[in-house]
Amino acid sequence: MKKFILIAAVAACGIAALVLAGCASKSVDLRRIVIWHQMRVDERLILESQLARYMKLHPGVRVEAVYKETETLRSDFIIGAIARQGPDLVYGPSDQIGPFQVMDIIAPLEPYLDSGWIASFNPKGLTWYKGHLYQVADKLGNHLTLVYNKKLITHPPATDSELIAEGQRLTDKRTGQYGLVWNYTEPFFFIPFMSGFGGWVMDDEGRPTLNSAGTVNGLKFVRDLRDKYHIIPAEADYNAADALFKDGRAAMIVNGDWSWSGYKKAGIDIGIAPLPVITSTGLPCAPMISPKGFSLNANVPSEKIPLIIDVLKFLMEGENQLETAKILNTMPTLKALYDDPFIRNDEILINSQKQIERGRAMPVVPELRAIWDAMRPSYQAVLGGAKTPEEAAEDMQELALKKIEEMNE
Amino acid sequence: MSSPKRKLFIFLFVAPAFIILMGVVVYPFVYNVVLSFSNMNLRHLKDWHLVGGRQYLKVFTEPTEPNFYIVFLKTVVWTTVNIFFHVVIGVFLALMLNRKIKGKAVYRTLLILPWAIPQYIVALTWRGMFNYEYGSINLVLTKYLNLPAVEWLKSPTEAFLACILTNVWLGFPFMMVVALGALQSIPQELYEAADIDGASWFHKLKNITIPLIRPVMIPAITLGIVWTFNNLNIVWLVSNTGEPSDQTHILVSFVYKAAFNLYRYGYAAALSMIIFVILLFMSLTFARRAKVTEGAY
Repeated sequence: MKKFILIAAVAACGIAALVLAGCASKSVDLRRIVIWHQMRVDERLILESQLARYMKLHPGVRVEAVYKETETLRSDFIIGAIARQGPDLVYGPSDQIGPFQVMDIIAPLEPYLDSGWIASFNPKGLTWYKGHLYQVADKLGNHLTLVYNKKLITHPPATDSELIAEGQRLTDKRTGQYGLVWNYTEPFFFIPFMSGFGGWVMDDEGRPTLNSAGTVNGLKFVRDLRDKYHIIPAEADYNAADALFKDGRAAMIVNGDWSWSGYKKAGIDIGIAPLPVITSTGLPCAPMISPKGFSLNANVPSEKIPLIIDVLKFLMEGENQLETAKILNTMPTLKALYDDPFIRNDEILINSQKQIERGRAMPVVPELRAIWDAMRPSYQAVLGGAKTPEEAAEDMQELALKKIEEMNE
Repeated sequence: MSSPKRKLFIFLFVAPAFIILMGVVVYPFVYNVVLSFSNMNLRHLKDWHLVGGRQYLKVFTEPTEPNFYIVFLKTVVWTTVNIFFHVVIGVFLALMLNRKIKGKAVYRTLLILPWAIPQYIVALTWRGMFNYEYGSINLVLTKYLNLPAVEWLKSPTEAFLACILTNVWLGFPFMMVVALGALQSIPQELYEAADIDGASWFHKLKNITIPLIRPVMIPAITLGIVWTFNNLNIVWLVSNTGEPSDQTHILVSFVYKAAFNLYRYGYAAALSMIIFVILLFMSLTFARRAKVTEGAY
């Protein structure tokens, strides 16, 4: 009996401690703002220096930026939200808005922002979903472009036939030199080719549209680049493609704006060009465009929101966005900056802007996640020779419908 | 010390560990059990409710892509092959290191290295080594052995084999260290007596070494089974999230995908409970068959 009492007492203390710990964590420090982000090192350094400036201007306020890898950030934010915790602001690409909104873990921003301030932004940098503003971006794009090594190419190819011709000229398999590389196992990188042949991932209602001529012809094109024209390596994931380009062993790479500063640091004299136009359709290869920005955690206490909005507004100021643009060559979202001499004259930004204009906005609906998951196996099966493009397109569609049903059960 | 004071003393010593265990083991486990009977997913993150055993039924009957039973079979193959090589290589190297050889400390350090490198780095390095064109493995095969290059990461079987090779390399040092510790605790007199009786090397291994390292090796193997069965990192990173075509999943990466790619928390919780039961059953059966509680002497 005594033993039982002792165990019961320990258990009671344990539970009490857990409850107390839970209560303690609910006490809010109104002068401490936490931001979770997935920025790369160079982006991160800029954010930290800007936050340091903010804290200097606002003594007593502490703003902490915590880095998490994109997928970890998403899952941690969801887990945090279940426990009614998490950061005050969450930063990332716009495709996370759909799932977060459906889960009711981010809050609309427009009640806290005046319409004039909102109107000062490029509409592409504002992610509205179901009638509410859920994300304000500091960078536009997150888009794929054709990056080329200026030492090897003077005029980037404008069409698919020029791409093939240029690729063949620059490929020498014996020396391991390739005309073109990219992470061609990942469906995100397949989208430009799919859209170039007239395909797209979903319709306006969020229903998958993968079983299309665009998908089939896009798949054939990618396969032909490897097996018929031999201008891409037999195998290339992101790291392999990136390393080949940095080593100067690939003349062109399809990669996003996040990669440019890394190539410059690696000593490659890069040029940026829009992805080519597919001659047979007359359509440009259109990558997905998604702004990267800040969203407000739905669990934030209302009395803390004014300070959070103040931090957000500070980070969006023209001076800060321009600083980022100059270092990273990313496109700012404040319209006023588009007249700045740097933005107007920087060659990389001019071409990046051209690609943005040709791109299509990445859908923010949660179903996109199921579509990626459904595309990946069949896309890889075509490249592995296990499926024909026609079979793959059919299977992608079927699997996407099934996965969407599973997600929404 | 008087009895109530003594009890208070015990209570104070036990309490911190108990609180931590409640927080990091008992509570998450119970929460997972509850979730496995719920409909928590993308559409019901905050307003989830209990739905009985529906998620368990789905695990066994839903025609998922990839199929649960195939993934389970692959997990069994993955665990068995890995543990077999971990133990065989580990014990073999421990036997070598237990001899009087020059530079033993250097060899020992070099052999422990795979264990000392973070799994993330190991996985990505091996992934690079398996590259068809530029990977060192194919370069050795083609340039020095005159063998054809293998499409390690493009075909399902080869990709799975690549994951196994990586994990074998990563896992043998643990078994080697454990076996070496056990070998060093065997009294030398036993071998001397066996020598006097004219026992061969094999007889000494069979009748002295193996029985005496068994009590140490069995718990290590049981731990190894649990770790390998649940080793998400290697499969996830070497195969780049199940490539090609989701053909290189083991149960734990399958759960990860269900939970964090498709937000099916209830389903993933049910699947993880099934994994828990499988592991519990496997470990208990193994321990019972191997008579783990029996003493060596």
